[in-house]
Amino acid sequence: MKSICFESYGVKVQLESSSQVILQTAFQTAQRALLGQTAEIDRCIPDGIFRFELDGDGDCTLIQNEEVMTTASPDRKFWRFFDGLVRILVADFTKPFVFIHAGAIGWRGKAFLFPANSFNGKTTLVYEMLKLGAVYYSDEYAVLDADGLVHPFARPLSVRTRIGEIREIDVDPNSLSAEIGKIPIPVGVVLFTKFEESAVWSPNYLSPGVGAVRLIEFAISVKRNTEFVLSVLNRAVSNAYILESPRSEAKDFAAFFLEFIDNSTFLTKMMLNK
Amino acid sequence: MNSSQFPIARKSGLVVQEMPDEVLVYDLDSDKAHCLNQTAANVWKACDGNTSIAELARTFGGGNEDLIWLAIDQLSENDLLEGKLSSSFKGQSRREVIKKIGLASMIAIPVIASLAAPQSALAAQSCRCQNNSQCSGPNINCPTTFCSCSGLCNAPGPVVCP
Repeated sequence: MKSICFESYGVKVQLESSSQVILQTAFQTAQRALLGQTAEIDRCIPDGIFRFELDGDGDCTLIQNEEVMTTASPDRKFWRFFDGLVRILVADFTKPFVFIHAGAIGWRGKAFLFPANSFNGKTTLVYEMLKLGAVYYSDEYAVLDADGLVHPFARPLSVRTRIGEIREIDVDPNSLSAEIGKIPIPVGVVLFTKFEESAVWSPNYLSPGVGAVRLIEFAISVKRNTEFVLSVLNRAVSNAYILESPRSEAKDFAAFFLEFIDNSTFLTKMMLNK
Repeated sequence: MNSSQFPIARKSGLVVQEMPDEVLVYDLDSDKAHCLNQTAANVWKACDGNTSIAELARTFGGGNEDLIWLAIDQLSENDLLEGKLSSSFKGQSRREVIKKIGLASMIAIPVIASLAAPQSALAAQSCRCQNNSQCSGPNINCPTTFCSCSGLCNAPGPVVCP
């Protein structure tokens, strides 16, 4: 059995397989999934172990910490699934950071977060905002440090197309001429939203405490690292405006929301003073 | 209601984070998160087993025991107190009490906002499902088209879950 151990965001991950080809593919997948934040290490006491077992039919069984996660042909979908698992493992076990399941952009030097579970339009909303000049931080995870600042996790956007068969395609933010975030920035706005037919913009402003509680739903490591997560969320929301409202189609809403922010007196004050 | 009761704030199994005007509490036993507004937080912190409802009302409720009982009611309901305290608003519903207090009081109504944390980090996984039909469409990029008992589109074939 061959293995590779690497560290990412403070999390040690071990990959094992008797197939060198599978092992290398797994490591390359993990490197892409974690945006190259993967330092190979010689020996480790891993936080998570992924084992890949090939059978005689060419199928591969993916086992995470002795739990069978799938048995399938090691094709694009298989590796995409593993891509998601390794990111969740790192998000769950990391101690220096808090991964929030949220889209994140930079606007006027502050981070705007759009927390939401999958299939709720985070990527589409971020995509439309990038086209309007927002800075790309992530379409999947807002990565917060101990001071509550948002770091970029700028992977290719996984945009779902609805032309014919629904497919997920990777969009390089560079192809949108979008600026990619390079430095950690404070949170300016947290918007809890989802698309609704005939949605009317009707923002409900939440207190920092209620906003932090709502964010807990999307904080991947809240059960494993509770005290740290709460302190980070406290810092993150302390100077942020937190709103919730349904929204219209992403393309229209993105333009509307950025204009709303720029025209709002108190929000402008927030940008200047906080 | 017995205003001579001495409520005790629960301490064990809770992670507490103080904010400027609110308190965050995470219950490790139930995996629930709570945000106590200032009034609710003040009452909770003062529940030391030696301070009666009547005294709490004098200190935090402007003498209004209904306001304190509103806080105690919510704290008890959310397992933030040791034991259960009996509270009834003499035939009035909570809504009626809030209305009554709201009109009479300058002190903020105690409010606790609560949320259950997701079951596991895998709740963030995009291949989640409840049945096989959800393993196509938006889940087209998941390993299989069969929903496993753990709620992911990764089963090798149709499964029957317990």
